[in-house]
Amino acid sequence: MPLVAAFACPHTPQLLVRPPTEDRALVLRVHEALGEVKRRLSAARADVIVLVAGDHIEGFFLNAVPALAVYVGARAAGEFGRYRYAFDVHEPVARAIVEQGIEAGFDLAYSQQLPLDYAFYVPLHFAMPAVAVPIVPLYVNVYLPPQPTPRRCHAWGAALRTILDARAERVALIASGGLSHFPGTERYGTPDFDFDRALLAALAEGRGAETARLTGEELDKAGNVELRTWITLLGAVGAARAEVLCYEPSWHHGNAVVAWPV
Amino acid sequence: MDAHYFFPPAAAFPLNRFLFALKSDAAVRARYAKDGEATMREHGLDDATRAALATFDRERLVGLGAHPYLVFMAQVRLTMDREPTTFEYF
Repeated sequence: MPLVAAFACPHTPQLLVRPPTEDRALVLRVHEALGEVKRRLSAARADVIVLVAGDHIEGFFLNAVPALAVYVGARAAGEFGRYRYAFDVHEPVARAIVEQGIEAGFDLAYSQQLPLDYAFYVPLHFAMPAVAVPIVPLYVNVYLPPQPTPRRCHAWGAALRTILDARAERVALIASGGLSHFPGTERYGTPDFDFDRALLAALAEGRGAETARLTGEELDKAGNVELRTWITLLGAVGAARAEVLCYEPSWHHGNAVVAWPV
Repeated sequence: MDAHYFFPPAAAFPLNRFLFALKSDAAVRARYAKDGEATMREHGLDDATRAALATFDRERLVGLGAHPYLVFMAQVRLTMDREPTTFEYF
């Protein structure tokens, strides 16, 4: 069965735990857009949500840095402040992705023992349907160079689409990341919102394939190392035209929520 | 120009491992809050690294090879522990 829904969501932890430095009204507008994702996910009656996210050096430290990985444990759990999350993992779909991904030429790592990163549970905190749906966490290395190239991410997304379309389950795909931000660097207060706006305009015209031609250096310069998760999704959704549900640039982060017709 | 997120130098592994622990391990954060110097020594950090951590100077830490994101989130988690009431939970 073809994908039933596709979205991209931000995951900045200030959406979950707001320090006084953050504009409350802006945070609530992003929550509203994520609420729209929740409504659409519920309406799509997804059986499983496959999330593509970058690890914030939480599940994978310098003991091993996989470019692309799949979590295939029974449950995926993580914590942030007072929040404790635990999601059922859809093991048949997770296994199919690992096995068929490797057959397709993508040398995926997999794990059954990882703490879940907030890049996964921040969007789910706001967008998980009332009756919780099992998930499959897919990892793309975004923060520990050398990261996979945009071209490789796009190709992986296309292969992923083939795997998911062949499943009987109703699968929703979510990319978690971005847009421009520079945590821990001297650019923290000056994200590249022009890059974001040009990107969103191109995606609205269905020109997502162009992102496969970006370089890692360009992503790093634009504060968009996490765009690799979006590029993976763009490989899966092809030339579908993005619908921008919100773009809310804060003083340090371009928050974008986007939907694609599939 | 070097990348904002650069290859982590092997020499900085003890520092990055310590920042990772501060970010992800509440017990290490609690121990660090109670006795920072002893906690840093237990993690095998040298004089320059301990001095940079004492002020949590981002530029110095990154100059020593710290991953910028680890510096950022270690500091966020320490602040969340120290000033829990200033944060709004949704």
